[in-house]
Amino acid sequence: MELPPLLLQTAGSLVAILALAGFARWMKLGGTPLLTDDDGVRRAAGEVEGGFMPVSIARDARGLAALARDAQGRIMVIKRHGNRFAGRILDERARAMLNKELGETLLVVMPGQTLFGAIHLDIDAPRAWAEAINRVNGRQDA
Amino acid sequence: MPDFNPTQYAVPLFVIAVLAEMIWARLRAPEAYEPKDTLVSLSFGLGSTIAGALLGGFALTLMFLAYDYRVFDFGPEWWAVWWAWPLCFGLDDFAYYWSHRAGHRIRWMWAAHVNHHSSQHYNLSTALRQTWTGNLTIGILFTLPVVVLGFHPAMIVICGGFNLIYQFWIHTEAIDRMPRWFEAVMNTPSHHRVHHATNPRYLDRNYAGVFIVWDRLFGTFEPESRDEPIRYGIVKQLGSFNLLWAVFHEWIGMIADIWRAPWRHKLGYLLREPGWSHDGSRETSDMIREAWRARQPPRQNPVSTENPIAGGTEPA
Repeated sequence: MELPPLLLQTAGSLVAILALAGFARWMKLGGTPLLTDDDGVRRAAGEVEGGFMPVSIARDARGLAALARDAQGRIMVIKRHGNRFAGRILDERARAMLNKELGETLLVVMPGQTLFGAIHLDIDAPRAWAEAINRVNGRQDA
Repeated sequence: MPDFNPTQYAVPLFVIAVLAEMIWARLRAPEAYEPKDTLVSLSFGLGSTIAGALLGGFALTLMFLAYDYRVFDFGPEWWAVWWAWPLCFGLDDFAYYWSHRAGHRIRWMWAAHVNHHSSQHYNLSTALRQTWTGNLTIGILFTLPVVVLGFHPAMIVICGGFNLIYQFWIHTEAIDRMPRWFEAVMNTPSHHRVHHATNPRYLDRNYAGVFIVWDRLFGTFEPESRDEPIRYGIVKQLGSFNLLWAVFHEWIGMIADIWRAPWRHKLGYLLREPGWSHDGSRETSDMIREAWRARQPPRQNPVSTENPIAGGTEPA
């Protein structure tokens, strides 16, 4: 049986793709940057939205995410994405809730933007942040 | 008529070069690669080949239709006219510049081209992050004048293939700068890093394919500054490694905007620049750049930016 050239090429390419991605993983490329200080959060926030100057910051205890609020009252959520950071300014689509995980009360932020995902934050005063986020969309529950 | 696709023959070289760059990254810059990002970028490459095979026929048909109206005729053995090849390559690169510029300035075309920019990394795998939906745009219109001039569609496709192969190697951080004469004429890793940057000063700059002279001529050139690190990706980073979302997110956003917009603004969401909105609620790249410029402290004297006591500027 003779395979069509496109099918053969596709199969070969697929093998090469998986091999290259596997090689990158095997070589431990990437790394795991963390938001370990407020300066790091400020830098990441400025990259998400030029000119965003946080006046209040809540960093996840594991350094995986953060919340930042600016003088205008805008709240930004930042998460680690691969070995970079990505963020969103929260709008009326956002929701926040408290969740008990392994004995810790985590804040779960759902920006409500397609496939950006829910962000779990282990922060101080999670209830206050949840209320602030839910105020953005008119909800009062946390 | 020669039946030759240079890109197919280059694939093994692409694989070897990506492997070599990964080894470089392991030794010098492990953060240059992220396995999930690499997987998405390479899958884009594969999908693009399949999409091209399925949808490319329309563009080719248009080219052959236009060829019937050619101004000059290189004869039945057009491939034997040696000087037509470099001429075609140069003209095709000129057409590529304008098509690429439109790809950043017309949202319809950006919907297809954004894929190439949505990685937050810049490495050789990013080069293979090619569109699946380019044939659903008006990009082919930029090539038709070259056909009408008299260059056979096959010659243009072959030149375009070599153009694409050239552009592969410039997607790297492993090479700093090429010799000055080369940087002056050719597109290089340095110039193209600028093109992939989201720093406000670099947005919508350096559209060149092979020859950077087009950007210098038409006012879109921006040199890479050593003063600040480049951030790669798009203004609103995806934050997801979902391949299908990466392929279609801008199409979905654009169609949703057109659907919701008042009738007199619908076309604006198709043909205006990305970020344009009829109510001014969003930012275009020009607005982002202007806002960034406005935030920069006025320069008191030439040494102010080099003097740490005088205060710094916000990275672009």
